[in-house]
Amino acid sequence: MTRTVPEGWRKAARFVWIAALVLVALSLVMVVRAPTERVMGPVQKIVYVHVPSAIATMIAFGITFAAGIAFLTTRQWFWDALGAASAEVGLVFATVVMITGPLWARSAWNTWWTWEPRLTTFFILWILYAAYQVIRSSLRGPSKRTISAVLGIVFFVMYPVTVYSVNLWRGSMHPQNVTMQGNMRQVLLTSMLAWVVFYVAVLERRLRLEWARRAAEEERLGVGAPAPRGHVAARGAEARGR
Amino acid sequence: MILLEVARKDLTLYARDVRFLATLGLFSASLTLILSMAFGPIYQDAPREAAATMWASLFFAGVLGLTRSLDMEREAGGGDALRMSGADPYAIYLGKTLANFLLLAAVFALLLPLTSVFFDVGSLSGLPRVAGVAAIALLGYSAWGTLFAALARGLQARELLLSVLLFPSLIPLWIGAVKLTHALWGEGGTASVGDWVKVMLVMDVLGLGVAAWLYEPVQEAGE
Repeated sequence: MTRTVPEGWRKAARFVWIAALVLVALSLVMVVRAPTERVMGPVQKIVYVHVPSAIATMIAFGITFAAGIAFLTTRQWFWDALGAASAEVGLVFATVVMITGPLWARSAWNTWWTWEPRLTTFFILWILYAAYQVIRSSLRGPSKRTISAVLGIVFFVMYPVTVYSVNLWRGSMHPQNVTMQGNMRQVLLTSMLAWVVFYVAVLERRLRLEWARRAAEEERLGVGAPAPRGHVAARGAEARGR
Repeated sequence: MILLEVARKDLTLYARDVRFLATLGLFSASLTLILSMAFGPIYQDAPREAAATMWASLFFAGVLGLTRSLDMEREAGGGDALRMSGADPYAIYLGKTLANFLLLAAVFALLLPLTSVFFDVGSLSGLPRVAGVAAIALLGYSAWGTLFAALARGLQARELLLSVLLFPSLIPLWIGAVKLTHALWGEGGTASVGDWVKVMLVMDVLGLGVAAWLYEPVQEAGE
């Protein structure tokens, strides 16, 4: 993996950012113009942020899981950076879900929170990935990457079991599938696409930060300039790049 | 056999630390007492409250046991010796899981009669099935707990982080154990909540399977 961001990457990132901004703007306009639901009124429009954020969260944590496997297999720095970046961005989207959910529930169920299976499992997921951030930030040295990868895998493996088990616990009030028709369906699909592309754009920025950190660290250790083969600084860079 | 040797070593360390065993027993008994007082003196649904109390006490006491096992290993230096011995990491993991399972089973043996007395639930004829539920739940708890404890080995405030990792992750086991014990004490059978046995077995198999793959890198990370 190169020490600086590849040129092709920069070009692709520019395109993704433009696409994300255009799509988010378009989706917001569509949300404003979308028909108002008869029973819930304007509050129903929270769904256009809530559902796409939940999908972005699952994609983000899925990428952390895949990056964890890739890191343990290859021991390449990039996979650790991708997993950590995706977990962090995913936690932000999960927080959006946790905020918008109760806002919707207050209107739909007349309560901010209820111990309902989907809510409970999502709250568990949020706690686990928040713990991931705490643990990662408290680690130093080479174990940081390995433990982060293991946590990214374990949390994602455990999630389907938790969802299934809590569904057995009590009947779910949460809609299992969001079914919409006509204009409302188009708004939802556009919002989903917009949030997923926005996630990719933010992930790219976060990854670039990791790249910059790594470059700064190498510069501090004096491995930015070409070091003689076998020099301690070069060995350090090789070890970190593994 | 490495598995049994590791389990024997860990159990010997536990047995030598009588103060720890006494504290663990007193802590779990106190939790049971406090919760029974909170629910009582007139219980709304004694089998349900008794099951929740027993499993909550057991899960909290389990964190104490897992944390102590890490400390003891560090103090005795056994962990480093095991890693340097070149023994199969998964055999080491299984040995530790077995030791933790037996420690938790001992705590269960203490809490079961206490809960039965405090809440007036259970019977001798139903004991084998409650013990069966406990075996499945504690196997999963030990399997995941041993992996998480190894992960938390090098962390600051590892007791807190171990709780944060364990409790949300093991919710399927906890709910399953409570549901099944409640059904056994309340209805005398598990027909209405039989699916929970499958969920708990999946958790057990997942814990042992994931550890087979991940324990070695976790052990390396702790070096």
